[in-house]
Amino acid sequence: MRSLDLKLIRDLRTMKGQMLAISLVMACGLTMLITFRGLIVSLETERDRYYSENRFADVFCDLEQAPNSLRPRLEAIPDVAAVETRIKGAATLDIPGMDDIAEAVMISLPDERPQRLNLLHMLRGRFPEPGSRNEIVVGEAFAEAHAFMPGDTIQAVIHGSREHLRIVGIALSPEFVYELPPGAIVPDNKRFGVFWMNERELANAFNMDGAFNNVVLAVSPGGDINRVKEELDRILRPYGGRIAYDRSEHTSAEWVEMEIESLRAVALAFPIVFLAVAAFMTSAALTRLVRLQREQIAQLKAFGYSSRAIGLHYSKFVLVAVAAAILVGAVGGYLAGRGVIVLFHQFFRFPSLTFHPDYLAVLLGVVASAATAFLGVLAAVRQAVRLPPAEAMRPEPPAKYSPSRIEVTGIQHLVSPAFRMALRNLERKPWQGLFTAFGLAMATAIPILPGAMRDGMDYMMDFQWRLAQRQDVTLGLIEPGSYTAFTSMRNLPGVVEAEPFRSVSARISHGHLERRISLSGLTQDARLNRLLDAEEQQVPLPLSGVLLSRKLAEILDVGPGGVVLLEVQEGRRPVVAVPVAGTITDFTGIGAYMDIDEVRRLMGEGRTVSGAHLTLDAAEWDRFMVKVRESPRIGSITRTRAARESFDRMMGEMFGLAQAIYFGFAIVLAFGVIYNGARIALSERTRDLATLRVLGYTKREVAGVLIGELALLTLLALLPGLFIGSQMASAILEAASTETTRFPVVLTSRTYATAVLIVLASSLVSFAVVGRRIHRLDLIGVLKARE
Amino acid sequence: MPDSADKHTTPAGSEPLFEARGLTKIYNPGTEAEVRALDGVDLDLFESELVVLLGASGSGKSTLLNILGGLDVPTDGTLDFRGESLTEADERALTQFRRETVGFVFQFYNLIPSLTARENVTLITDIARDPMPAEEALALVGLGERMDHFPSELSGGEQQRIAIARAIAKRPDVLLCDEPTGALDVKTGITVLEAIARVNEDMGTLAMIITHNAAIAEMAGRVIHMSAGRITEIHTNTERRPAHTLVW
Ligand SMILES: Nc1ncnc2c1ncn2[C@@H]1O[C@H](COP(=O)(O)OP(=O)(O)OP(=O)(O)O)[C@@H](O)[C@H]1O
Ligand SMILES: [Mg+2]
Repeated sequence: MRSLDLKLIRDLRTMKGQMLAISLVMACGLTMLITFRGLIVSLETERDRYYSENRFADVFCDLEQAPNSLRPRLEAIPDVAAVETRIKGAATLDIPGMDDIAEAVMISLPDERPQRLNLLHMLRGRFPEPGSRNEIVVGEAFAEAHAFMPGDTIQAVIHGSREHLRIVGIALSPEFVYELPPGAIVPDNKRFGVFWMNERELANAFNMDGAFNNVVLAVSPGGDINRVKEELDRILRPYGGRIAYDRSEHTSAEWVEMEIESLRAVALAFPIVFLAVAAFMTSAALTRLVRLQREQIAQLKAFGYSSRAIGLHYSKFVLVAVAAAILVGAVGGYLAGRGVIVLFHQFFRFPSLTFHPDYLAVLLGVVASAATAFLGVLAAVRQAVRLPPAEAMRPEPPAKYSPSRIEVTGIQHLVSPAFRMALRNLERKPWQGLFTAFGLAMATAIPILPGAMRDGMDYMMDFQWRLAQRQDVTLGLIEPGSYTAFTSMRNLPGVVEAEPFRSVSARISHGHLERRISLSGLTQDARLNRLLDAEEQQVPLPLSGVLLSRKLAEILDVGPGGVVLLEVQEGRRPVVAVPVAGTITDFTGIGAYMDIDEVRRLMGEGRTVSGAHLTLDAAEWDRFMVKVRESPRIGSITRTRAARESFDRMMGEMFGLAQAIYFGFAIVLAFGVIYNGARIALSERTRDLATLRVLGYTKREVAGVLIGELALLTLLALLPGLFIGSQMASAILEAASTETTRFPVVLTSRTYATAVLIVLASSLVSFAVVGRRIHRLDLIGVLKARE
Repeated sequence: MPDSADKHTTPAGSEPLFEARGLTKIYNPGTEAEVRALDGVDLDLFESELVVLLGASGSGKSTLLNILGGLDVPTDGTLDFRGESLTEADERALTQFRRETVGFVFQFYNLIPSLTARENVTLITDIARDPMPAEEALALVGLGERMDHFPSELSGGEQQRIAIARAIAKRPDVLLCDEPTGALDVKTGITVLEAIARVNEDMGTLAMIITHNAAIAEMAGRVIHMSAGRITEIHTNTERRPAHTLVW
């Protein structure tokens, strides 16, 4: 055995480039597997731990106002394990140095006892003292964005009255892992925060003494959540209850889930591609090695080595490659995972999100890739050991060639003998060529996803903020107001154009399918907040009937012409069946849209508004803001540009890294596949190429013969690669598209060009590396022996 | 020294094609494994002569032929071709020399298996300066009929004749054959030798044949004997026997 191992080491040394290429491709697959699976497991583990330790509620419900005496009835709902009634409201904040209004959602903390649900995870400081004034706990993301520390004060307008709030603690909450301002799609930690305050104090501020407007429930394990929701809805109905919802519709929980889902979408596909290609590469390389060493194998057998010993010997090649790959992949995956986890922390706030490898997945990945590679080797070795030694010691019978099929078309008169050699070599061993082409196609396919994502994001932003939402600012009123409220918004300094809207929360259902949505009443021929179809054309608002987000229509399984049931949760709570007039294209959230007057009629109101979309004269911004700050009825202000900027920032951070990683992996894959293919081709053609050199062909011409063959494969791989990549990108983006965000599949020539360039550049580098070997061809050695 | 009376082998007064002086090739110099494959070879070769190189295995025949053909470079000594130094030529010039001037025939044919007989020849006619049509070269070696066959479909002798056709298609000045009949039986060996002799006669090509077979020497103008890297004897045949009359 010892001397066989010596042979192993010698052979490995001559094959080190190839082994390295194989190991790297395999390592990329493992790195991705370890990173993605680790991220998924880490997020899931930490989320589950956090939710259960901090007693994240199962059911949530907002209402107008109900007396605290209602609580025993809520606690008596079957399957309810715990109830917390709270006061929840909005505050606008005046932060020195910001030319913009920041907003906070304020949530009450019980005065005299600890929280029962959604327990805060206190990072610094303490809870407000019972009976204290204006003491608040602030969510970490907001505090961090402004470098607030316990002891700092914040100026706020709460329900129309100005207050100095004093920060006493900085905390995290399982309710706000992802802190999304209402109606936004990305966190904006400078402009949106979560504050917690003593219940009695908040009750004072919001005129809610002895009452609550928000309730959260824990359902006992195995309890029927849907029944709890129904019961809750029934009890709260007289108190202006909105629809109860569970974690699946809870903003933060939904976004965390979506992140995990989109990781799942890529966590398998890409690693499988890499591991499969690596297995092909191993198989091809080892098959060639075994064929080259056919006579050696025969001799070993003649000396009395068993077929098993020989099989084991060749398996060790795979073992070395796999071991190297595991080492690199494990370290790479671990480091990448830890790096990405840190990025996650910017968006997802968990108490202790750390990277945990998913050992089972890693094990599976390793076993699967090793097993496929071993299978490839086994097939090669089996063939070699099956031959009786006497026969194997004779050289292989000469290869049979025939004119390639393409030549039937008569093109042979147009091409050089060198090109013909390439064609015929490919036709004689189509599988080998196919594997190389397949690997290259995959390398071409991989950069399509990040390209499509980047262009999809660009398109989404453009669609959302240039075509659909053309307002500079959207103002929201604390409570719906009359038309004079709209005229006073229109008359604010600097306002150029103004468009009112009236939105109400509602349950929309079609058969047993239902969702909680915001039903928006918009003006006909809106110029600012426009509804568009997939072709970017404005969709006219129907005079009667409702327009749905396409995703919502999909969820409800309803199309134009169908009828949906709308149960409005505000005012006199009308319930109507309305026809679906059509669908609109949007990429975030799900919504339903009607003519504003229809909504008003439905609500039995006059010309009410919930707020207004405005365009502004930028020069008047400061004066505009002063007025907005002074006006107590304005509860929220959303700046389009700020939203766009924070979106840009987030995408820049997340996708910049992802894109670099995908490109890097694609380069490794392309380089590895071509290099491996080139080395095998070189080994098979050494004799031909050396003969050409003897006959007076220059090095360049000879390199051309070899590279011509590989270049042909590369070119053949490009188109299918682009096709596979587009399909893969569409499938993955489709899988990652949820009710919260959808990624448009945008495939541009830039993406395709990048993919092609990556593959061509990697090919050129491997050609150069292999070309060096042509310089060192042993001309004389080749003449001494028959192959 | 060659007999100047035999006009056929050493044209009197004509300049030698190759002029080798003190040609030496040492493998692994300065180590225990040092081998003097050539050890001070002086040799003149003339246009249109047919030379047979004889010697025991390991005596340096292939080494000499490879250096003459620009496939290898000597460790020491000088080699001129038509007065131009080959020993000072760089890699690119040697490639050019092989491309334009030399035709090789080897024991193992060294054909490209993926190309047909005709295509193996066009491989050369594509890059040579003044080639003959591939069909003509194949006809010269008597293979006009089987041009579109792949090497694996041809016998050893036929394959070797393709190799000769490939070597002569460029109308080379020199035809260097290293054991061209080594892998062939007598009958096919003779057809191959006939082809070489015909090229030598019809085209006035200098032909050098390495062989272990002393009988073949009878067809040569001159016979060079080598031993341990040196030329031990050069014998001029007063009478050359046509290839088809040889027996061994
Ligand atoms: N690459 C090499 N490295 C070391 N020694 C070599 C090498 N090539 C040839 N030799 C040695 O040089 C000597 C001459 O070799 P060469 O091939 O010229 O002999 P030859 O006369 O052609 O023999 P044969 O009739 O067996 O072909 C031999 O002793 C051989 O061992
Ligand atoms: Mg020899």
